[in-house]
Order: sequence, then structure tokens, then C-alpha cells
Amino acid sequence: MKKFVLPLLFGAVMVVVGHFAALYSAPNVIMTGAMTMLSERGVPLHAFSFAPRPTPQTQTVVRPSPDLAYSACLYDLDAAPRGLRVTMAASEGYSSLSFFDASTNNFVTIRGEGKEASVRLLPQSASAEAGDDIVLSPSAKGIILIRRLTPTQADYDAVAAIAADDQCGVI
Amino acid sequence: MLKRIAIYALTGIFGLGLGAYTALAMSGLLPGDRRAEAAIDLDGWMGDLTQGSADASPYLRARIARHGLLALAKSEAIYFIRATDDTGEVLSEDCTYRLAGGPMPAGWWSVTLYNADSFLPDNTDQALSFDASRAGDGAWSAIVSPVRPDDQSNWISSRNAGQFDLTLRLYMPDAETLNAPAQAITAPSVERVSCTKEPS
Repeated sequence: MKKFVLPLLFGAVMVVVGHFAALYSAPNVIMTGAMTMLSERGVPLHAFSFAPRPTPQTQTVVRPSPDLAYSACLYDLDAAPRGLRVTMAASEGYSSLSFFDASTNNFVTIRGEGKEASVRLLPQSASAEAGDDIVLSPSAKGIILIRRLTPTQADYDAVAAIAADDQCGVI
Repeated sequence: MLKRIAIYALTGIFGLGLGAYTALAMSGLLPGDRRAEAAIDLDGWMGDLTQGSADASPYLRARIARHGLLALAKSEAIYFIRATDDTGEVLSEDCTYRLAGGPMPAGWWSVTLYNADSFLPDNTDQALSFDASRAGDGAWSAIVSPVRPDDQSNWISSRNAGQFDLTLRLYMPDAETLNAPAQAITAPSVERVSCTKEPS
């Protein structure tokens, strides 16, 4: 009996290791999968892509809102050492510019309120840089999302023209 | 010696697998998991104000990654999910429901229907949500059913949804709502009107 004590203790430790490894890696794995899927569907790295109006036939990510128009930009700060300039063009009605890190956390959201919003996205290591327009990303990779309220097709069509001026580019 | 190594290897592999399984189970990530418990229960509408933020527990973060990826943090939007009607029965496309509510303490709000996989159900009805722009300033209601109502009622289509849930989004919630959501939000009711089959 005694010879099984150490293997059982080892197994118990592995249960704890497996539990927390799966728990903390799940969001990153899901986010990486989502970024890969978005890339395969034409969302570029370091540029905004204006998504088709969310419908059962066009949806790519869980729980899209049919009342919103989405523009997405994938980023990788390892490939953009001086950061990104991210600009959400001005539009009437609700709009927001939101940043999601590799763990799925929404670490910053800027509301449009009818005005253009423009920021520099930098890695966390650049925290010494000064400026009101700086957003620091906790991870090298992530997703930037613009949401605009478009309950009708006419609203969506109007926003489509505006979204062409959104920018997400390497500095 | 080889036998001892084999025992350690087996217990290690079993332990890692069991640990991963319990993590997925506790996060609600196992297939078919439709858990409803949450930090906030507004008459059956379940939500958690840490959703989308770094303050979320690792279990909530994992669950949201699977069922609500790219959810905004509470300063911008809060979310509540309703998977049962007012009697506690699971929502199903076999039934017709009347969704009713009033003004919401938010800059904009919507109710959207999703299937068990957290996607919009596969239909072409173009009627999968109801939002503040159509609700007006007072009381409002909408029919949730697989076929369009004969009258001019607001409609959310559940065609091809199977068992589904409704997501209430409140964008730009005010400070009072964030401090005391149960007091600030009058949650919409979900009355079952009729069914073609007995609810399961």
C-alpha cells in the first residue's frame, strides 16, 4: 500500500496542474482560434475590415448583434515595434473603439460620441511614453473592434461609407 | 524501475486529464452545458458585471471566451442572458412567447435570440432582435415565435433555433445601474403564450 502513496500524491498534483493549465489557457486558445478564423475570412493584420451585416449566414464570432456594424483589425505588436496608429472615423449615433488582448480582456474602450477617435497602440513595455493618446496592450497580439449602431439596412449602408476611413496601421 | 516509471506516467496523464476536465466543466465549456447561474439574477436574466474585464474570474473568462467572445467591459455595455420563460421552462422554438418590458437605464439596448451554440439561428427572417430604436419611450412588447405573427406585433424569429436563449444588451449603462443593477433594471418578462409540443 505504501508504494502507491507517492504515485497517488503525484497524480493529485497533476490534477491541480491540469486544472489550472486548462483554465488559464482556454481563453488564449479560443482567442487564437478566433483570430486565425477571422484571418482566414479576410480580416487583415494591421488594417480594418468592415464586416458584412451580421446575419445567420455571415456571422463569424459567437453572439454577434444584428443591430451593430463591426470593423475588426488584428494586431501583432511583435511585428510593429513602434506600435499602431488606430483611428475610428467620426459617425452619427453610437460608436465605440474597443481593444481586446490575447486573454480576451477588453482592456480599453473609447466611445465615439460623434467625433473621430485616434490613438497609438503600444506594448505594455512602452509605459514610459507620454501622451494622452496612448493605449498600452497587455499582450503582443489582440483584436481591435469598432462597433456602430445600425438597426436598419439604411443605417448599415451609411456606416459602410464612413468605415472606409477607419485606420489601423503600423507606425 | 520501469514499472515504477509506468505507474507515475499513468497517474500523471490521468491526473492532467482529470484536472483539465474539471476546469472545463466548472467553466461551462463541456458540450451541451447550458448552465444558468451567474452573479446577478434579474428575474431569470443572468449576468455578471465583471464580464469582459480583467476582474472576471478565470472560470467566467473561459466561459465568456466560448459563449461571448469580444464582450465589452461594463463601462460600455452589460449583458444578461435568459434561457427560461417566466415559469422556468427552457425556451424552445416549439413555443410562442410574449416578451414585454419598459424603458431601460441605458443609452441603447437590445434583445437578441441565439441558439444553443451561441450563434444566430439559421433562418432568413431578418427578425432576430428587438432594440430601443423600435421600442419607443414607454412599455413595449414583442412576440418570440417561429412564424411571423398575423398582426403587426414586433417579432423575434425563433425559426430553426431549437432550444435558445435571449441576450439583453444594455449599452452605455448609467452609474446607478452599475452600482445596483437589480434595483435599476426592470427586467423584461417572458410569458409563454402557446406551444405546439409540451415544453421539455
